[in-house]
Amino acid sequence: MDLVAQLAGIVAPVFLCVGLGIFWAKVGPPFDSTLITSLVYNVGAPCLILATFQKVQMTPQAMTELALATLACYASFTVIGVVVVKLARLDIPSYLPALIFPLTGSMGLPVCYFAYGDEGLALAIVFFTFGAIGTFTLGAAIAEGTFSLKKLAQAPVIYAVVIAVALQLTGRQLPDWVFNTTNLLGGMVIPAQLIALGVSLLELRTGGIARSAVLGVFRLAMGVAVGFAIAWAFGLEGAARAVVVIQSAMPVAVSSYLFAQQYRRRPEEVAGMVVVSTAVSFVTLPLLLAVLL
Amino acid sequence: MIFKILSVIAPVFVCAGIGFFWGRTGRSFDSRMVGALALNLGMPCLAFSTLTKLSVSPEAFATMAGTYALALVCFLAVGLTVITVLRLPAHTYLPVFTSSNTGNMGLPLCLFAFGPEGLAFGICIFVMSSVFSFTVGWSIYAGRFAADVFYNNPLIYAVAVALIFMATGTQPPAWLANTTGLVGGLTIPLMLISLGVAIANMRAHGAVTIIGISVVKLLAGFSVGYGLSVLLGLEGAARGALIIEASMPVAVHNYMFAQRFNRSAADTASMILISTLIALACLPLLMLVVL
Repeated sequence: MDLVAQLAGIVAPVFLCVGLGIFWAKVGPPFDSTLITSLVYNVGAPCLILATFQKVQMTPQAMTELALATLACYASFTVIGVVVVKLARLDIPSYLPALIFPLTGSMGLPVCYFAYGDEGLALAIVFFTFGAIGTFTLGAAIAEGTFSLKKLAQAPVIYAVVIAVALQLTGRQLPDWVFNTTNLLGGMVIPAQLIALGVSLLELRTGGIARSAVLGVFRLAMGVAVGFAIAWAFGLEGAARAVVVIQSAMPVAVSSYLFAQQYRRRPEEVAGMVVVSTAVSFVTLPLLLAVLL
Repeated sequence: MIFKILSVIAPVFVCAGIGFFWGRTGRSFDSRMVGALALNLGMPCLAFSTLTKLSVSPEAFATMAGTYALALVCFLAVGLTVITVLRLPAHTYLPVFTSSNTGNMGLPLCLFAFGPEGLAFGICIFVMSSVFSFTVGWSIYAGRFAADVFYNNPLIYAVAVALIFMATGTQPPAWLANTTGLVGGLTIPLMLISLGVAIANMRAHGAVTIIGISVVKLLAGFSVGYGLSVLLGLEGAARGALIIEASMPVAVHNYMFAQRFNRSAADTASMILISTLIALACLPLLMLVVL
């Protein structure tokens, strides 16, 4: 019974916020996703990073270890993704980004936070940051066909990460007024992203559902397998192990859909992958947590 | 002391500043959607989450509600006096005295000055102020009694449920506490950013009456808050939250009400803008008094 209550405390906020988004899309005024995404990426996310790393002190060693494990996860996703897409004779630009990048932000962060508190959130942010950097560079490059660092240099998240890492390494703290401000603004990131996720789940126009379903489920299965394997290979324990597994096992990221839409890379099928993998993860996530906790 | 004051007022200035920049650079900002998100989803969750953490007792909560009811009566008396003396129409100028910016400006100040206890008192005052604005204030603008806005406000129901938890001394289950805590995090930043956008998009005209009313409103608010806190012997967070909230400028929703009922929206916008700017400038002094 305790485990059920504990699991409910972790997954209910995610499900209920997504539910609020779906509810909003049905009855509320038009949801301006562009505005919310812009506020989250340009203002909220950098603040969340700064504030979280003020609350959690990580040793450089722990941070490096987690960063390497994260990179190993993404490298594995890329290799496996390329092989699978090639074997299935699908085109790389449309399907590969969706297989590589999991939903580490809107879904991974709150799950890790409610499971392991601020420490879990800090670890999850490391994983999320690499995902964000990868999406802006590699993801965009695969979908667009050209590699560019311009998008990356324009992402405020990067500067927040640099400042946070510098503060951690020098053992310095932000002044109170900066911490209060960033902590306040960072608080809107997770709920806003989850509600936006709910809205977009309802507004996504899906197509080719059979293939999307198979690929979506494959993304989840691959995530779980790679997560456990990498955590074992790096000898991770406790919160670090759980965070790597949880973040790896997240469903297909909505950002993959946005890229697919922008560059006309079969957005309907990517949308199908997002919807199917998210829906399936609502069932598999509590099971995964039950194993990890 | 300077750093303490800075840590309280900086979040307000920075968040509202982001909104102001957003509005001034002409980026699109759907105020209606953000307002609905912050007030209909975020606010009930923030109120529920803050109140059920039991940082204030039900008695202290009730005392604060009663105290702010007294404050509202005083505001109404000041407002009636001013509009009678200046022969101004009540439907445009009376709510200016009673509806203060207890939400987007008052709550973060209470939070950062006095922590969760301050926020709980601030929310108590915000609830009283909202109930008053959405019943009496709304009716004054409409020119007839109307309370449907009151029943449609999810905040009322969230507070009612929170009061049950408070009265019985029980904690909500983890799933409910975590969810409301998470969604509640939307409220204050979105409200402050909206405030900045609203300031950026409003135009003021500096007629003497408008400036005069704005100054009188702020002075009266502070005096009533300070006076009541001395009279009732309030201390610490309760005293601070009351003085802060009573001193807040004219609420932004007055502009929406004035537009909707064809009252003088331009005058209302001017009073909101002028009182907000004066209040922002005086925030360090206000903090010096309450801290």
